[in-house]
Amino acid sequence: MANVAVELEDLRKVFDFSVPTGFLRREHREVLAVDSISLKVLEGQSVAFIGPNGAGKSTTIKMLTGILHPSGGRATVLGKIPWLERGKLAFEIGAVFGQRSQLWLHLPPNDTFELLARIYNIPKLEFKKRRDELVERFKLEAFLETPVRKLSLGQRMRAEVAASLLHHPKVLFLDEPTIGLDVIARQELRDLVREWNVSQGLTVFLTSHDAGDIEHVSKRVIVINHGQIVLDDKVSAMRRAYIGSKILEVKFGTPPLSLEMRGVKILKRTEYALKLEVDTRIAPIESVMNAVLQLAPVADISIEDPPLEEVIAHIYGQEKVVA
Amino acid sequence: MIEVRKYSFLGLTAIRSSFAYLGEQLFGLVFLGVILFIFLQLWRATFAGAGAVKLGDLSLAQMIWYLAIAEGVVMSRPRISSEVDQDLRSGSLSVQLLRPLEYPLAKLASSFGERLVLFGLIAGTGCLLAFIFVGTIPFSLEGLGLFLLVLPVALLLDTIGFLMVGLSAFWFEDTTGLTLIYSRMTMILGGMLVPLELFPDFARPIVEWLPFSSVVYVPARLFVHPSFELFGGVIVRQGLSLLILSLIVFFVYRAGLKRIHSNGG
Repeated sequence: MANVAVELEDLRKVFDFSVPTGFLRREHREVLAVDSISLKVLEGQSVAFIGPNGAGKSTTIKMLTGILHPSGGRATVLGKIPWLERGKLAFEIGAVFGQRSQLWLHLPPNDTFELLARIYNIPKLEFKKRRDELVERFKLEAFLETPVRKLSLGQRMRAEVAASLLHHPKVLFLDEPTIGLDVIARQELRDLVREWNVSQGLTVFLTSHDAGDIEHVSKRVIVINHGQIVLDDKVSAMRRAYIGSKILEVKFGTPPLSLEMRGVKILKRTEYALKLEVDTRIAPIESVMNAVLQLAPVADISIEDPPLEEVIAHIYGQEKVVA
Repeated sequence: MIEVRKYSFLGLTAIRSSFAYLGEQLFGLVFLGVILFIFLQLWRATFAGAGAVKLGDLSLAQMIWYLAIAEGVVMSRPRISSEVDQDLRSGSLSVQLLRPLEYPLAKLASSFGERLVLFGLIAGTGCLLAFIFVGTIPFSLEGLGLFLLVLPVALLLDTIGFLMVGLSAFWFEDTTGLTLIYSRMTMILGGMLVPLELFPDFARPIVEWLPFSSVVYVPARLFVHPSFELFGGVIVRQGLSLLILSLIVFFVYRAGLKRIHSNGG
């Protein structure tokens, strides 16, 4: 059984502030940002921590990294209480923020690596070994000595992630790491993070609005909304079971008859094709298939889960549900 | 010791980084040339009008060299206050707090490194222009030694001052106004335009004890007119200013950090 990397128990955060309500008058207000969250993440797990804007995920992450002090409850990261031991914890965690660079813009990535080695007190030989490993794995060789301002966003983000791994962190926080990247660069970065998670046992804590990131990087997804956890499950299970709907695409040899069935919604219809959304809780997939086969000779058929974005949007739109 | 090496390396990295955009300072150097030329004419007229060979114990040539160094200090003003302001406003501070570094020290180290390069470029150009305009002035090794001792403290003091202004963003919506006021106070009360000897008698003791004179007047004056007597008093004043400004930054940052810890910035 792996050790617990991150543990939260009834973690709460209330922001209190005052707003002017008149001349020399102010009113005290409170906003509950995180409402008694409890969860455990084991070492080596890769978790997507998602939620709509304002759901409380940034607040939770800031508490987990020791920047924000909670109003109640407890949390530990690698056995340390983040807000009391932020300095020590800094040596054991890494962070990549898609919109904020830690690389020096006018200097090559290698110079930032050397600076980080000093900041994290990495001995010279160990640094060289680690840097060479990262350079090889993240394919940084070609631009290691090129000023960061001249790199493409994809190259820069690869260097960012490599920089955040230089000091052997046990937990990596990734916040929108693929934002702005093209399809290939995005895929490359996801593969690298996934590989590092599997091969090095790195615990990954990902926040992203990109369903592809969630699906490719994480096995477990935690959805937070209104300061509470509304879903904590495997990504595959969420996709399969949460909505309980399937997308059925059928191509016919001749124009099909019309179809009306409870639990079946026609998304698109052309002369020889139909695209259906099937609510499998109302209309079992076998009965829909049988009905489709009666419409006309079938030339091709495919059954797919709905896109993850749809599943996520559906969850965001709901109040607290199963965990 | 490891900590000192860490921040020193950060400063060195900033120095390396600064060389990459030195070209951007070209406009500033043109401006410096114009300023020095205008002041050359003004001081020429003033010396002629007063019928004096020396004003405040400085000759016309020394006055122009004084201005070159003083301009070097003022024009190499770091962007630290606006950077800190931005870090606080954009939430970048939270990201920087994730590293095993003290934020104010890290900011100071990188700004100081950047500033050394800028000062070298601006003051170097200023000295060249002063040489072209008025020729050389008497220099001594002792004088240069005194100058090199007070200069780093002067630049550090100024950088800490602007860091302090930047940290006010914990409470103020916009620190641009404060930065402007602080920089103008450095220019006027620091003795950039007029050396302290030419200040009215009642004002001189006050401005001497303000930190601004330790930033601008002291290095410029020791560069053009070295004096061990002045140096003795300067060390005490610089040390006191350094202590007081550092304490203010320490407490302001601590109070600001409390706000970040409770309300996230």
